[in-house]
Amino acid sequence: MISNLAIAILNGIVWGLIMALIALGLNMIFGLLHIINMAHGALFMLGAVVAWYLIELTGNFWIALIIAPLCVGVIGLMIERGLIRTIEDKPITTIICTFGIMLAIQHLVLIIFGGSPRRISPPIAYRFPIFDLQYPLMRIMIALISIAMMIGLWIFLRKTKYGLWMRAVVQDREMAVGLGIPVNKVYMWTFVLGSALAAFSGILAAPIVSVEFMMGREVLIMAFIIVIVGGMGNLEGSVIAAIMISLIQGIGSLFVAPSIATVFALAFMILVLMFRPQGLFGE
Amino acid sequence: MFLQKGKSLGFILIFVLILLVLIVLPFFVDFFYQTFLTELFVWILFAISFDLIFGYTGLLSFGQALFFGLGSYTVTILMRQFGFNTELSLLLSIVIPMIFAWFVGYFSVKLTGIHFVIITIIFAIIGNIIGDTWTSFTGGSDGLTFSPRPFRLGLFQINLMDIKGNYYFVLGVVAISYLFLRRMVQSPLGKVFISIRENEERAKLIGYNVQRYKLIAFIIAGGLSGLAGGLYSLTLKYAAASYLHWSVSGHAVVYTVVGGMGTLIGPAIGAGIVMSLEHYLINFLQATDLVVGIALVFMVLVAPKGLVGLIQSKLKRGKTSV
Repeated sequence: MISNLAIAILNGIVWGLIMALIALGLNMIFGLLHIINMAHGALFMLGAVVAWYLIELTGNFWIALIIAPLCVGVIGLMIERGLIRTIEDKPITTIICTFGIMLAIQHLVLIIFGGSPRRISPPIAYRFPIFDLQYPLMRIMIALISIAMMIGLWIFLRKTKYGLWMRAVVQDREMAVGLGIPVNKVYMWTFVLGSALAAFSGILAAPIVSVEFMMGREVLIMAFIIVIVGGMGNLEGSVIAAIMISLIQGIGSLFVAPSIATVFALAFMILVLMFRPQGLFGE
Repeated sequence: MFLQKGKSLGFILIFVLILLVLIVLPFFVDFFYQTFLTELFVWILFAISFDLIFGYTGLLSFGQALFFGLGSYTVTILMRQFGFNTELSLLLSIVIPMIFAWFVGYFSVKLTGIHFVIITIIFAIIGNIIGDTWTSFTGGSDGLTFSPRPFRLGLFQINLMDIKGNYYFVLGVVAISYLFLRRMVQSPLGKVFISIRENEERAKLIGYNVQRYKLIAFIIAGGLSGLAGGLYSLTLKYAAASYLHWSVSGHAVVYTVVGGMGTLIGPAIGAGIVMSLEHYLINFLQATDLVVGIALVFMVLVAPKGLVGLIQSKLKRGKTSV
């Protein structure tokens, strides 16, 4: 029992960190552009699929981990510049537009990649013992990479010029324009960064789950839950909420059916939406 | 006043004409196309019920799948498990989703914009998970099958196991629902819905209880989405938990946006075009949603008022130039 619990906690943390990265991308785009990106889960899936091809080509997971997010970032760039830019001020319209993009990406992948799930085998096969069970070292690696990514993101937002601009635009768009910040460019790079983050977490998730064209659908909803519970526009809140929710789900599913645990999580989220729309951790 | 009259006369003429064409059509096409058209009618009803809540009231609800699935399960379970007759089951496939819509709407209409969209998605997901888990009652992803009894109204009787009988039955119900919705959006109640869409603050200032009217629109739309689900099950003799998935609402979104929201006729045309396109594409493309997705993005960007909006602006330009 104790070893099961330990593994549930470890899994919860690892998955929570991956979800945190996805939710961060979604929340950055929301906080800045006020867009709910329904295609975010599809970009997550696209990252894993591109990585699968890159691994077939080069045989190296780490190369794929770097190149695939760049590819998806370029796709994000095309989506933002080519499609979303003209309707950025209409939130409901962008939801419909990104829903269409989601359908198109999913089914393009279905045509090219096929419908059957495929596996990306972890580049580190070593397993270390926990009590009487074994745990793959790769998952610990994944967690560490996610944490490193988040620290990098934090430094980017706090210490660089672009980060400063992004925070300025979130605070007061009009004033940012007045101060000469290229708001338009900031939008673009935020969307690209968000897309690349989604892809990056897709590749990190790939050795744990299998790669298939629908793998982003449920993840998108989980990311929504995290963003709402943590507070829309509140990035730190997203990270805390992601780990909290994954832990509760992981530990909870030791005792009740996973679907029941999810229903409770969703009901809880409705309450958050009703009574604390700014999120649990907002002021 | 005269214009209004002329308009409705024209509408009646076109409506009767289309109805006549659809009544004689089954004599010229085979069973396959009869079933296809029956399904098309069902999706038209689903799309126009969505148009009431989104196109007229301005609330983007991804939760309509929940009511569609509930209607479908109402018909299936009542007839399979409890031996209800078709008339009563179909009536309850409106009433039960309406009760659920009242419950969901009670929470949802308090929220606006993106929050509303997300809370409706959450309710649909909860429904889908329950449907998937409670397999003894819903059949889960395998679903449930049944055979409907004939529909009886006085001496009038339709055999729903017969494809043609089913065709006429669904056509009749959808046509009546269409007229009902059209009447409603032209009534004072419909005008309130439109005023909420156009400017919620102003509607509030005039003195309308905006949340109450939103709830009314949500309940009516939920009931009609449920009816669509009930008819769908009557046509396929089947219901499954996947009908409750929030992405089913995406169908209604696509048809409504492509055809033109807030017009009723637009979603109907949209459903016809998109479903025909899919039906044609499936011959050489496994994933027709690729084209559907692209069409949706294209319409949102190029013609946000849909095909009907395009035609209307063309006509207007023609008139002013004369």
